Amino acid sequence: MTLQEAKTYLLERARERGVELEALATGSRELSLQARERTLEEITAAERGGIGVRVVKDGKTGYAYSEELSPEALDWVLAEAIENAELQSETGGFLPEGRPLGKSDLLGEGLSAPVEEKKRMALELEEGVLRDPRVQQVGAAIYSEREFQTELASTRGAEGGYRSGYAYQMVSAVMAEGESLKQGYELKVARELFALDPASTAQEFLHRTGRLLGARDLKSGRYTAYFEPSAFLALLSAFIDLWSAKQVLEGKSRLAGRLGQKIASEAFTLYDDPNHPEGLMNAPFDAEGTPTRKVYLVREGVLESFMHNSVTARKLNAESTGHAQRSYKGVLDVGPRNLIVAPGEGVTLQDGVLITDLMGVHAGANSISGDFSLQALGLKIEGGEAAYPVENFTLSGNFFELLERIVATGRELEWSVMFLAGASPTVEVAEVAFAGA
Amino acid sequence: MLQESTAERLIQHARARGADFAEIYVERWKKRNLRLLDLEVQEATSGIETGAGVRLFFGTQVVYAYTNDLSEANLLEVTDTLARLKGEAGQVDARGAGGLDFRGSAPAGLHGPQLPPDERDKRWRIERLAEADAAARVGPAIKKVQLYLIEWDQEIQVASSEGVWNTDRRVRTRYVVTAIAENEESMQTGFAGPGLSVGLELFDLEPPAVHGRAAGEQALTLLRAKPAPAGPMPVVIGNAFGGVIFHEALGHLLETTAVARKTSVLTDKLGEKIASEAVTYVDDGTLPHGWGSSEYDDEGAPTERTVLIEKGVLKSYMVDRWGSLMTGYRPTGSGRRQDYTFAPTSRMRNTFIETGDTPVEKLFENIEFGLYAKKMGGGQVRPGSGEYNFAVQEGYVIRNGRVEEPVKGAMLVGKGPESIQRIVAVAADRKNAPGMCGSLSGAVPVEVGQPHLLISEIVVGGEG
Repeated sequence: MTLQEAKTYLLERARERGVELEALATGSRELSLQARERTLEEITAAERGGIGVRVVKDGKTGYAYSEELSPEALDWVLAEAIENAELQSETGGFLPEGRPLGKSDLLGEGLSAPVEEKKRMALELEEGVLRDPRVQQVGAAIYSEREFQTELASTRGAEGGYRSGYAYQMVSAVMAEGESLKQGYELKVARELFALDPASTAQEFLHRTGRLLGARDLKSGRYTAYFEPSAFLALLSAFIDLWSAKQVLEGKSRLAGRLGQKIASEAFTLYDDPNHPEGLMNAPFDAEGTPTRKVYLVREGVLESFMHNSVTARKLNAESTGHAQRSYKGVLDVGPRNLIVAPGEGVTLQDGVLITDLMGVHAGANSISGDFSLQALGLKIEGGEAAYPVENFTLSGNFFELLERIVATGRELEWSVMFLAGASPTVEVAEVAFAGA
Repeated sequence: MLQESTAERLIQHARARGADFAEIYVERWKKRNLRLLDLEVQEATSGIETGAGVRLFFGTQVVYAYTNDLSEANLLEVTDTLARLKGEAGQVDARGAGGLDFRGSAPAGLHGPQLPPDERDKRWRIERLAEADAAARVGPAIKKVQLYLIEWDQEIQVASSEGVWNTDRRVRTRYVVTAIAENEESMQTGFAGPGLSVGLELFDLEPPAVHGRAAGEQALTLLRAKPAPAGPMPVVIGNAFGGVIFHEALGHLLETTAVARKTSVLTDKLGEKIASEAVTYVDDGTLPHGWGSSEYDDEGAPTERTVLIEKGVLKSYMVDRWGSLMTGYRPTGSGRRQDYTFAPTSRMRNTFIETGDTPVEKLFENIEFGLYAKKMGGGQVRPGSGEYNFAVQEGYVIRNGRVEEPVKGAMLVGKGPESIQRIVAVAADRKNAPGMCGSLSGAVPVEVGQPHLLISEIVVGGEG
């Protein structure tokens, strides 16, 4: 059976057995080419797909999935999901009202190119980096692409699908100058292959890692922090669950009960836009078939919304914001698509530290208390100029206090998928504690 | 799962496109997970995973593809795509023509289940887990008990251009008890997690009441533990999961993945004395019903008992096909992978220090001041050098030959190849414990193990 046929089969069997069922199917394709020492060292071509069901019987919810699409396997899935539902003690489970969602293609011909072209992208990326004599060792130079087909249907009328995907280039290497060694990486992602240019990705890597060579220790103290976009997104990724209504329900978010209140500086606006023209994780509807839309989480410092699926929305007496997430193997959750820190009036570098890289983001941050202590790399800024690179320091503080100390945001958005998919401008924060040598 | 004729066509197709070696791996899993918190079901999921992996060698260069569309047409297309990506000219190789002589054998069922997963319903499982919950509540300080049950039923099939045609079935069951104790000062967790290559008879072989109580008692012990002492000192490491240190800081250095690229400090040391004479280190894929056992590895080679170190002398590495090609060492049935989404690499199976002859009490006898690391926790290792730091989950101070008060926050810091030379005595109480080992080819089930043993000196990092 195809995933489409499997979906139809499961809906029919569920109707016969008198249970509500939602089927989520994903098929994915991946190609990955890794260059090493000027040949393609690793080649992986992959296809994977499966179908997962959420079943509701007498108000109890159960899950099961299969990658095998035979009638025997699908019958097993339905029987197991029902048995798993019956074990639950919680009642009140339901499937949301559905509607036809149509078919869409968000990828088009974005990844269509001869394979020779794709190989060239991996080889030229390595070559571009090796051209600089300061490069000691290239760990990886990769071209990779992914394509997804997502299908959703439910006994309550949801029905639709979409195709999406992206390509990326990634290089990691060690650079050296005198005694100073720095390992860095550069990742460029795009929905269209022609938007990736190995020469400029290599150049970007050399610039971003090269500028950190010869770093000095930073003197402990309080400085203005200028977060580069990817560094700010990395910090945000450790705390994004604060906006999850699921965390609110489990008592794990300190933002609970603060809707409509000021939680950040007026310079801070945060929204999720699943239909952004440049979005890398765009989707027309979420994992339950709720149409997606632009949702402000924070507008000019005021907490405007949490991220909801239909279950959290019902429990908190709110509306689903289209943030349901689920893989075919998993259970229902909540999460963002393209998280965007709104650009502002611009940041003017004066005196402080430009944070270029944050490390150990998840180990060094406590999303419940908001406390963080993170190792970082950066450039010391003096008189509006980059004076010298700095290393061996941590920046620490509390995320809730940091939000209030945001002074300004830059004019230009930069996209990333490293820690979470989204975009941010440079973000200036006053009075951040830095512990150095 | 796969017809012999299909496998044959695929392999010949790959050979005709210039591959020196072609292998097809097919598998099907049934997985079930159940998580209970204070006996309320938090999570119950079930799934079937299935797929095929095609691996082609062009000399020592390897290309890999996987798919879960197992039709012959698709598998041929996948093989074509791989060969095209490699960009070899593609000529018919005489060795690929004229039919393959598959020499297969069926598994003997050495590790097969007595009570297969489908013979009991989920209520029965919850009742058995409830025995662990009750036993874990050894005192009022135990506030929460979490139970996690994992059931895997995996069937695999491997065919290769060297005539391999083997199937295997691996049924594995494991449960983990986590007891959380709390007083005014702190919150502590105790664990126990038995697992074997068996079915639901695990609950009889490893009684929930025993493991539940162990988890509860460990949590209570930790509640009254004092900060650990620091500095270099003699350390007695407990049996069973105590073996995790040498798994990480020695075992990984003996896999051809590291040895072939010469990134291991133990490269090119066969026949040399690398450990104290008290040490015999074995990786055994044949232990009956071992968590890391199987009849065949994921390259279709029969597993075996491989003596890695005998009385201190390095005897063998752990060798997969690629590793054998690169180093010339004989393959040891060590090619493993998490599932079809990974190409296999050389991996450990059940790896342990063999039993010695010193009575356990003797290990402690002459220690004036030291640490008894009874249960080990997690840690980190630098793969090349074997530098490690491991947390001691349950530790005690040793004073004048006696095990005294419990301590918490102890870290053992050292280098695997150095520590193995400092093992001065090995007791006669070897036990193994299950775990998951993560590496290039994903996470695979392994056992680690050892008897109680005495290391003359390890640096202990305490809290202070």
